Amino acid sequence: MLVAVSLTLALQHLFIWLIQARQWAHLALSLTALAVAIMIGMEYSGMRAANVNQLATILRWVHLPFFVTFVAMIYFVRHYFGVGRLWLAWTACGLRLFVLVINFTTGQNLFFKEITHLKPLVVFGGETVVIAQGVLNPWYVIGPISILALVVFVLDASLMLWRKGGGAGRLFVFNSITFFMLAAVVHLGLVNAGLLNSPYLVSLSFMPALIAMSYTLSYDVMRSVKLADQLQASETELRKNEQRMALAISAAELGVWEWDVVHDEIWSNDKGRALFGIPGRERISFSRFLGTLHKDDRALLKCRVDQSLAGGGDYEGEYRVVLPDGQIRWFTTHSHLEFDSHHCPLRMYGVSIDITQRKQAAQALIKQGNKQTHLARATLLGELSMALAHELNQPLAAILSNAQAAQRFLLRKESQLCEVQEILEDIIADNKRASEVILRLRLLLRNDEVQYQRLDINEVVADVVKLVRFDLEGRHISITTTLAEQLPTVLGDQVLLQQVLLNLILNGSDAAASVSHVDQTSISIRTCCDGNVVKVCVGDQGPGITTKDMAHIFEPFFTTKPHGLGLGLSICRTLIKSHNGQLWAENNPDGGANFYFTLPAYFCERR
Amino acid sequence: MNDSIATVFIVDDDPSVVKALARLLRSAGFNTATFASAEAFLALYDKDAPGCLVLDVAMPGMNGLELQQALIALGSELPIIFLTGNGDIPMSVRAIKQGAVDFLTKPVHDIDLIAAIHEGFKRDEITRQARITLNGLQQRLALLTPRELEVMGHVVSGKKNKQIADILGTAEKTIKIHRAHLLMKLQVKSLPELVKLAEQLGVVAGTNNLFI
Repeated sequence: MLVAVSLTLALQHLFIWLIQARQWAHLALSLTALAVAIMIGMEYSGMRAANVNQLATILRWVHLPFFVTFVAMIYFVRHYFGVGRLWLAWTACGLRLFVLVINFTTGQNLFFKEITHLKPLVVFGGETVVIAQGVLNPWYVIGPISILALVVFVLDASLMLWRKGGGAGRLFVFNSITFFMLAAVVHLGLVNAGLLNSPYLVSLSFMPALIAMSYTLSYDVMRSVKLADQLQASETELRKNEQRMALAISAAELGVWEWDVVHDEIWSNDKGRALFGIPGRERISFSRFLGTLHKDDRALLKCRVDQSLAGGGDYEGEYRVVLPDGQIRWFTTHSHLEFDSHHCPLRMYGVSIDITQRKQAAQALIKQGNKQTHLARATLLGELSMALAHELNQPLAAILSNAQAAQRFLLRKESQLCEVQEILEDIIADNKRASEVILRLRLLLRNDEVQYQRLDINEVVADVVKLVRFDLEGRHISITTTLAEQLPTVLGDQVLLQQVLLNLILNGSDAAASVSHVDQTSISIRTCCDGNVVKVCVGDQGPGITTKDMAHIFEPFFTTKPHGLGLGLSICRTLIKSHNGQLWAENNPDGGANFYFTLPAYFCERR
Repeated sequence: MNDSIATVFIVDDDPSVVKALARLLRSAGFNTATFASAEAFLALYDKDAPGCLVLDVAMPGMNGLELQQALIALGSELPIIFLTGNGDIPMSVRAIKQGAVDFLTKPVHDIDLIAAIHEGFKRDEITRQARITLNGLQQRLALLTPRELEVMGHVVSGKKNKQIADILGTAEKTIKIHRAHLLMKLQVKSLPELVKLAEQLGVVAGTNNLFI
């Protein structure tokens, strides 16, 4: 039965080894199992030997499979577990080889110089077996010593494994080898010393070790099969992911590319080539790629990429590409650089996305915003229309009267050319005055792109005051200005800043007008330099802002006026923010509200 | 008073407009005086100076319509010609009702303005003449004794001498003497003339106190 078990194990592992040729542990185990089977067979036939010579032959040849088992076990421990000292392994193997040599060269075998007779022995079960009796071979002690060497090797290996944190199953293999080998040594010693009447049963002590080893290996095989399954599953998942990724890339219309910096060659997926208008076969170099760009964007992109290559981090940017048919498309690119160990750039890879639609939408939005701002400005001017008409009418009235006066003077007999000369000068002055009004209006009503330029905020204030003075006078509101001298200039759009001031002044005058009991109220405008910013304050003597309203006054569509749209202040804040400034409101402790805005000073030195 | 030359007073806050208007009116032969604000005009206002006022409506501080009210409050009858850049109808109606000569829109044509000024001067002349006449009558009325004034009241209300004598408890002859005296003092020759004069002076019949 034991033979059958061993042979089965031998076959099983031989089979596994045949399938997985690299798994030498299986061959070792297979050989061990085969050898153990042979040993069992031989010991069994030894117990039933008919004569002395037969037993002596069996006892001699049984050392051959023993040797094989011995070496295979050591190999197994070293190779499969990867532990054990090499010199111990060689020592044990050497000793065992020496034993084999002794076995075949001295006496009848390792144990006996000469077997004199066979001794029948009744074992359990009532069966009769024979055991050898005779003169012991003095060299036989080398046998147990070699086994002890094996035990030392295994114990040492198990200690190493334990320190490395090997599994309990593995340690069990070592322990069983150690224990049964020691048992074999003791058994051998006792039999040979004549203290125990028993046949040699060394092979039996190998069985548990064999089974333990086989268990470990089989367990590993099972596990590797399981791992293989998992691997297959994850490979399937990976493939799915790849498919999903490919789908996403094609759905998102991403241009995926990789630039071999060393050989200056760019690989791109088909979509990428299509996006940049480069035919499928054509080799792409960096300069070829640059050639597809809008000429205004080339220098900047090259500069940024050079910075990246010099170690300035990954490149991200937006640029325009001119397709072969002349169409202009906007792209955004995100890329990553790889360097070698000497910090030389190796590869740059990334994705490029066509963002033309988004860009167009954003530009439309800016246009929309400009339109809204313009509309708000036109509405503001609408509020001033009466005053503006008056502003224009006054010089026209003066011109007409002057011209008619001149006609009359010229009709007189004594023509007064001096007077006429003066009149003409006045007409020219009034004409200029009217033109200035129109110019101011046209400036405020224009709908151009925003134009940033260096401005003296005091001049902007003065212009706006001219515009609103008459309107405020009509409402019995005076306007006072306290303008700081030698203010630094600011960078801004004259019209937009005028719009903000106009809005704040008209808001202030509405607030002032709402306080009916005050006969004469005023709006004050102050400018000053506050650190690195130029600050402008528009204050009124109205009722101030309630705490509840204070949180909302800059929100769109919030208004306290019966006919207000509620866009003025929210647009003002947007405009000031676009100038990198701030706009806020505070209540004046003496009553009324103060609106402040700041603009970064353009020059640190004074004018 | 009467012999001083009629002047066109021009009030407008816009210096170039004031200058141009004054120049135009001078070229048309008018005597002009210019003021930069309603307040400046009020400060120098002389009730006896003849002429008319060319007044801008929209001005800082006191505006044109407010100046009109202030002048009325002072008992002035100076004719006013309003000038405005953007006068609306209710505003002009109100101004005219308060006695304004005209309400002209800037820029104003010389012919319209000059016509309005002539009209203003005419009105000023009339009111001034009326005032002079009234002043003469009042001086004559002041000559009457209280008794004569009392009799006059009854006479203009159409009572006979006898009736008056009964009311006043005196003889008819005495009333006749009073009557003759008051006709002489008031320089009227007939009863209808006396009635007309009483109307002009606002003498109310049946009262002892007669007021102008």
